[in-house]
Amino acid sequence: MWNTVRDKYTAGTLSVVGGLLLWELVSRVLIANQLFLAAPSQIVYAIYTLAKSGELEKHIAISAVEFAIGYVIAAVIGIAFGFGMASSVRCKQALQPWISGFYATPTIALAPLFILWLGIGIWSKVLVVIFLVLFPVTINTEAGLRTTSERLIEMLKSFGASRSQIFFKVSLPSALPFILAGLKLGIGRGLIGVVVAELFGSRAGLGRLISQSADAFNMPELFAGVIVLAVAGIAMTAGFGWLEKRLVPWTKD
Amino acid sequence: MPRKVEISGLSKWFGELEALRQIDVAVEPGEFISVVGPSGCGKTTFLRMVAGLEPATSGTILIDGQPLRGPGNNRGFVFQNDSLLPWRTVLANALIGPEVAGKVGDRERQRTLDLLKLVGLGGFENYYPRQLSGGMRQRVNLARALAIDPDVLLMDEPFASLDAQTREIMQTELLRIWEQGRKTVLFVTHQIDEAVFLSDRVLVFARRPGRLQENIEIKLPRPRALALKRTPEFIAYVDRIWTMIEHDVRAAVIDEHV
Repeated sequence: MWNTVRDKYTAGTLSVVGGLLLWELVSRVLIANQLFLAAPSQIVYAIYTLAKSGELEKHIAISAVEFAIGYVIAAVIGIAFGFGMASSVRCKQALQPWISGFYATPTIALAPLFILWLGIGIWSKVLVVIFLVLFPVTINTEAGLRTTSERLIEMLKSFGASRSQIFFKVSLPSALPFILAGLKLGIGRGLIGVVVAELFGSRAGLGRLISQSADAFNMPELFAGVIVLAVAGIAMTAGFGWLEKRLVPWTKD
Repeated sequence: MPRKVEISGLSKWFGELEALRQIDVAVEPGEFISVVGPSGCGKTTFLRMVAGLEPATSGTILIDGQPLRGPGNNRGFVFQNDSLLPWRTVLANALIGPEVAGKVGDRERQRTLDLLKLVGLGGFENYYPRQLSGGMRQRVNLARALAIDPDVLLMDEPFASLDAQTREIMQTELLRIWEQGRKTVLFVTHQIDEAVFLSDRVLVFARRPGRLQENIEIKLPRPRALALKRTPEFIAYVDRIWTMIEHDVRAAVIDEHV
């Protein structure tokens, strides 16, 4: 047991540690200029000082609030749209062109417009997040409900089940893995939305931290912002993996 | 004594295709009846119509003298593929019938647990379908149909996806379970020996259009053991039915490969 665990992680750990060492070496010895590249040790130090001054906490709090509000709104609306599209042909016909259109459009480019409309506070970022998260959630929810196995529906019908019983006992549980996949996809897109929207104009947030560090050629702080974002993305995606194992164990193994 | 199932003049069209023509069948309570025939003879359609899953184009189906109106709790359907809900335990899957009917009490729960024991799944009630073998999943499928305590059990090639040995075991198991409750059974299969082994009567269907060709009474003693399959009487029945449908089966095979 211990052996398999070790085998599973050895290569990955070695590769990451090796990469960090190489990075440290290149930036200290070869480049040796903090204006171009910060070494991992300098980034860790920057994160430490930013955290100590309370600066980092402020930026994280703002970005987190923007992300959370936008994500929750998008999830609720997205799942509702998905349900609507799966249960009514009219609804699907009405929504489909908009969903397809917006999903294919790099809506992030609308961020400056939203800032113009809603100002540089959190709400313009919330709107960007909604636009980025809404569509994958909608599309996945609809696909999940639509691909419910006919066999299972038939089985329930043979027991005289009503439409709502079929929905709650078969369609909804079998769509759950798809809905979770859509929400998982939304995490990465939502984080990108927050940061890019903040780059376009904001008072605080991790995007703001990154852009002001870039303006000041402060590479360690710039990387600090990026690392915090990466960790947040990895942590949330891993959290979803855990949630999937708990909620939809039948899709695994 | 009233007939359990009485089918008269039953016909089915799928658009331009005549699937079933003028089927007349009467089933006595407690009878075990199999339906065999080449693929495309409409035997599964026939069963689905008795289940109420498919409306008839014309003709009537009476159950205990009552005309059939859609699916109902007097019939339990055992599906070819197990159709188990992967997110439910064995017990929760078997209880779906009572649950749909809105009555899951301690009595139903106990009854279903007893049924799981009867089909040989005692101790497995908290397992998930993915943890079970094909044969075990079909046992759950059967227990689920029995859990609503139906008058008539409708079985659509329930052992078709199992390997040959498991299938033989399941046939004897089914007979053992049937002997205990003596439910009326309509059993669709493409395996002639399976039909002869299980049944009191075998309905032989022909194709194009699907119709009832022959009604053969199987006068073999019960209870039956697997050794019966090696007796000359048994083989004679199988031969007789095979001769009847051989021509049709060949035609169906050629059709499918064109």
